[in-house]
Parts: sequence; C-alpha cells; structure tokens
Amino acid sequence: MIWKVFRYELGRNLRRKGYLFTTLGIPLLALLLPLAYQALTSLDVNLGLDAVFQSGDRTAQAAGYVDETGLFTDPGALIRYPDEAAARRAMQAHEVATYYIIPADYVATGDVIQVMPTFSLAAIDDEAIREVILNTLAQNVQPQVVQRLEDPARFTDIKLNQGGAQQAGSFDSSFLLVYVFTLSLLLSVFMTNGYLMQGVIEEKESRVIEILMSTLRPTQLLVGKILAFGTMGLIQMLAWVGGILVLLRLANVLDVISSLAVITVPLDVLPLVLVYFVLAYLFFASAYGILGALSVSMREGPQFAAVFTLPAVIPLWFIALFIENPNAPLAVALSLIPVTAPLAMIERLLMTSVPGWQIALSLVLMVLLIVGMLWLAGRLFRVTTLLSGQLPKLRDLPRLMRG
Amino acid sequence: MQFERAVSVEHVQKNYGKFRAVDDLTFEVHGGEIFAMLGPNGSGKTTTIRMILDILKPDTGQIRVLGGPLTEATKMRIGYLPEERGLYRNVPVLDVMIYLGRLKGLSGDEARQRSLALLQQLELDEFSRKKVSELSKGMQQKVQFAVTVLHQPDLIIIDEPFSGLDPVNTLVIKRLLTDLRSRGCAIIMSTHQMQQVEEMADRLLMISNGQQKLYGSVQDIREQFALHAIIVEGQGDWGKLPGVVSVEPAANGNGHGADRALLRLDDQTAPGDVLAAIAASGDMHVRRFEEAVPGLNDIFIQVAEGAH
Repeated sequence: MIWKVFRYELGRNLRRKGYLFTTLGIPLLALLLPLAYQALTSLDVNLGLDAVFQSGDRTAQAAGYVDETGLFTDPGALIRYPDEAAARRAMQAHEVATYYIIPADYVATGDVIQVMPTFSLAAIDDEAIREVILNTLAQNVQPQVVQRLEDPARFTDIKLNQGGAQQAGSFDSSFLLVYVFTLSLLLSVFMTNGYLMQGVIEEKESRVIEILMSTLRPTQLLVGKILAFGTMGLIQMLAWVGGILVLLRLANVLDVISSLAVITVPLDVLPLVLVYFVLAYLFFASAYGILGALSVSMREGPQFAAVFTLPAVIPLWFIALFIENPNAPLAVALSLIPVTAPLAMIERLLMTSVPGWQIALSLVLMVLLIVGMLWLAGRLFRVTTLLSGQLPKLRDLPRLMRG
Repeated sequence: MQFERAVSVEHVQKNYGKFRAVDDLTFEVHGGEIFAMLGPNGSGKTTTIRMILDILKPDTGQIRVLGGPLTEATKMRIGYLPEERGLYRNVPVLDVMIYLGRLKGLSGDEARQRSLALLQQLELDEFSRKKVSELSKGMQQKVQFAVTVLHQPDLIIIDEPFSGLDPVNTLVIKRLLTDLRSRGCAIIMSTHQMQQVEEMADRLLMISNGQQKLYGSVQDIREQFALHAIIVEGQGDWGKLPGVVSVEPAANGNGHGADRALLRLDDQTAPGDVLAAIAASGDMHVRRFEEAVPGLNDIFIQVAEGAH
C-alpha cells in the first residue's frame, strides 16, 4: 500500500516544473553560464581582431598608446602615437581597435585611460599596456623580481585537524563550500517538504482524504508520501552535488571560474552529508506532515512552518564560527541538538574531523526525535482529518493525540 | 459472494468527550439489499459509517463486516462515497481513478480498463484526460461514484448519492445501484431524499440523537405508521358508511383530486368492512381504494420532531 502511494506521488510530483527547474535547471545553468561566457568572450575578442584584419592596414598590432609622460618609449606589442589626435585618427581608420593614454601625472596617480570605438567588456584588456609600463619601470630589475613585484606573496592556510593531519584551504573557499552545501540542503529539504505539506492540505481541502482513510491507514499514506518526496529530495541533492563537483573540475580549465579551483570538496564526508540530508528530510517531513494535518487551508501551513524552520537554520547564522573554529563548544552543541544538527554537523564535517562519538550521538538523538515526530504525525494525521475544517487549539492537541 | 450479514453492528456506542454520538446501536445489513440510513443532521449517521469503515473505533460494542472484523483485505471489498467528498483537482480524471483503483487492489491495467468502461457507461469517456477541476459539479459527482464502484465491491456505503445530480444523471446512478444490488452487493445509503428511499430501499434504519428510532423493511415501517384510515377516489356519500368517523379531502401526489377523500375509521372498523359496505350500497362509484399510509417524509418528520 505504501508502495502504491509512493509511486503515485513520485510520478505526479516529479513532473512539477518548479522541481524540474531547480533540480536540473540550476546545475545546468551553473555549468553552462561559465562555458557560454568563456565562449562569448573569445568570440568577441576574435571579432575585434577580425575587424582589424578586414581593414587590411595592420595585422597583429591592434592597439596603440599615447604617452604624455615621455617615459614609456618602448612600445612592445603596441603602436606609439605622438598625441591623442593621431591615435584617434588611427582608430577611426581601423588601424587599431583601441588605444591607451598614459597621462602626464601617471607616476603620481597610476591612472591609465583606455579609449575604444564602442564600449565592449571583452575589449577591456590591460595586459599589453601593463607590459609597456613594466618594461620601462623595471628596466634595471631582474625578471624574477618583477614577477615578485606583480605577485608578492601566495598564502596557503594550513589547518591542523584533531588527528594532526594538515588540511589546506582558505577562509573564502571554505565559506563558499560550507555555504553552498548548507544552502543546497536547506533548499532541497524545504522544497520537497513544502510539496509534502501542500499535498496533505490539498487532500484535506478536497476531502479526498476521507476516501483514502477508508482504504489506507494514515501512517501508510504518510510514509508513502514521505518516501516519495524524500526520493525527490535525494535526486535533487545528488544532482546538485554532482553539479558542484563538475563545476569545480571545470574551474581548472575555465578562466572565468578559475578562482573556484582552490576549493576541494572532502569526498570522504559526502556519504555522511547525505545521511544528514536524509535525517533532516525525515525530521522536517514529520514536522510538515503534522502541520499539514493540523492546517485547514494552504494559508496556514507555511505560516506555522516557521516554528520548525527558524531553529533549524540557526547554524547558518554562526557560519563564520563554524569555519574559524568548528570545534567551539557552541558549534559542537548545535551539531548534537537534533533540530540544528543536520546543518551544524554538515558545516563541521566540511571543515574538520568530527570525533566519531559526536557523530554517533547526534545520529542517535536525531533518529529518536524523528521516530517520535513520525509517531506524533501519525496520531495527529488520523484524527484531525475527521474534524470538520476547524483549526485545533493548542490545548486540544493532547486530546487529539489520544485519538 | 452474497452475504446474509454484510454488516453486523451490535450494541455500539461512541462518545466524543461528554457528547454521546452513537448510543447502543444494533442493526444488520444484508447482501443484495439497499439499506437506507436516515436521521436528522448530527444524529450519528456519519459516525456510525466511519465506525463501520474502521476510521473511528467504537467505545463499546462490536462491528463485523463481510463476515468478520474489518481487516485490510476486507477494506479492499468496500466502496465508500462520503458526504463531504472530492478528488484531486489538478489531476486528469483517468489518473485519479487508476490511483484510487490501485489502492483498492486492482492492477494498473485492470484499473485503467474498468475506469474507461465506467466512464463510457456514464458518458464521460471524452473527459478522461481532462483535469477534475475542468469538470462540472455533476460530472465530478459521477466520477466519484465511478471511483466508489470501480473495484466491484461487495459492500458500498454512499452518503447522499444524488446530491448535485440532475434528474437524468440521478436515474443513471439509480440504475447502477439497483444493478449492483441485483448482483448481490450490499448497499448502505445515507440520504435525506425520502422519495429515493421509498423507491429504492429495501430496509431502513432511522437514528436520532445517536439512538435507533426505526428499523425494518420500508413497507413494514410505513404500515406501522398507518393512520387507521382509507383513501377513496370516486363519487359517493362517504359519511353514511358505517364506522367512518370523518371525511376529509385528500390531495394526491400531484396536488389534484377533487374526488379523493380520506376516511378516518373508528377503532372497531377495519378497511375491509368499509370496502364491503361500499360494494353493498350500490350507489357509490369507486375507482381507487387504499389504506392511508403516510410517506416516509411524514414519518421522518414525525419521528424527528418526537425525538426533540
């Protein structure tokens, strides 16, 4: 019976446009956008050069400069013009695609002006003019020193975890990793459980629930739904995690996202992340199941959902603490308290080696809470369906639970 | 399979807090009969139905369904159409029917084939791919009825089966119900439409304030409420007849009948004595002669008011 409910709910809800877009569309966009940007950028640059080629006047040298300081006599790859009028004429004659002006007060200000016929992001390029300037400024300096002047220091953060092993990373990349993972988990859990709650309320509102109750036990209906929406959530998480991993691979080859290349996902903790996702899902599924059972209309359910969602997102408020000191007492406590544990523990798992006993304790506490919540959902689901469209008061709940 | 006792309810009681919704109720429903469950609003009908379906548990008493206590397997043989009913609104008709049919133990193919056949029978086949919300109220009502009988149940419980239906569709559903009865299905019908009960029901139970007020065959109950009077249609000086206490005009079902009269009799006179006296008189012309039995509607009001 559970299987029949599961199949129906899965078949019906997998086709939701919102779900399909967030599950497949977001990772696809995340992958396609950098690729498209990269492709467009190279296309734009090529077009610029093509324009110069077509003019037939110049070939490789596509940019010029005007030096008002009189210092930068070595043109390098650029064409030097005596004044701006000459440079402008050259650009209008398509001899150059763009030109730079080094103002007289350059040494004091460091300002350089680039002039182009029409604004184009792709044409903004300071490499050639930097080379011209550096060639002159560093005439008597060793090339290696020039390199060090350009890039004086590269930092690698070394975090010593509890086992003494070294782990490389930086605050920014860690923040991004933790943020993306926790946000994905939250989004997926709340989205799929939102569907679950909507489904329960729809069955109450349309009164189809009474027909179902004459055939199914309430727990069978609830479990079937929970499994169906859980499967949808799991598919979503896997699609997103897969998307993240592919994106990080692409970071090595795509300049536009090359800054992401420093992020390393600790693959060994991914199974545990999925376990916490499943537990988080089950906790919220039972909570939303209860809210669906108590609500009379689509208006109330989401309003009451804040009672459960606000405490659960507390670890997000302390994300900086989790990154800087994932073993701080508050971080440990939040990762053990069942309501906050899924997010808190995932944040810690991504940042440090969490002691086994803490993981075990948090899992046991979560499982106990989930069993209790599911039992409660089953009790409330049954009796409230039979109430004639009235929202029960808080003091009625013990009576409703007794049936 | 036809059951002698499709449903057996024995001394059942149900309380909601201090309110007693059902009070020591005992009755049986047989296979191959339409059993009407009557009562004013709030009399305990829905609670009784929910207890039969195991949605609610009785506080005391015993309920047996299709030969034993209600099990998961038994539930597969029951069709239920509640009073407050509905279907998934944004789902195609056929999909809803297949899902609910599968929940009742049909395979996907069986559910599909039977759904299509029923939709055709109800002249809804062209709407099978439409969403439920796109159907008129009457059409939705017919789909709900189709869902109730899709799995060919042995026991059908329907609450107000004709509400929202026009006369033509009422006739279609009535035919389906009588057809199911003739196949041995037990049908419990809760309704306020007394005319339908008179036409279709074999037996009835009337409850008020959770207690049994009337129980038995429709014919027996109507006779039980007979007025000790006769209705005659024709010409004659009815007041002269021996044993006739009073003569009152009696309208027929259409509100007409100038030559129709209700003759109240004294305790010693039987209707047969009056008929013999008319035959002997020679100057009275009678086209119709019947015992004055009240309609179920009058009986319902009489019992309900008496209960209050």
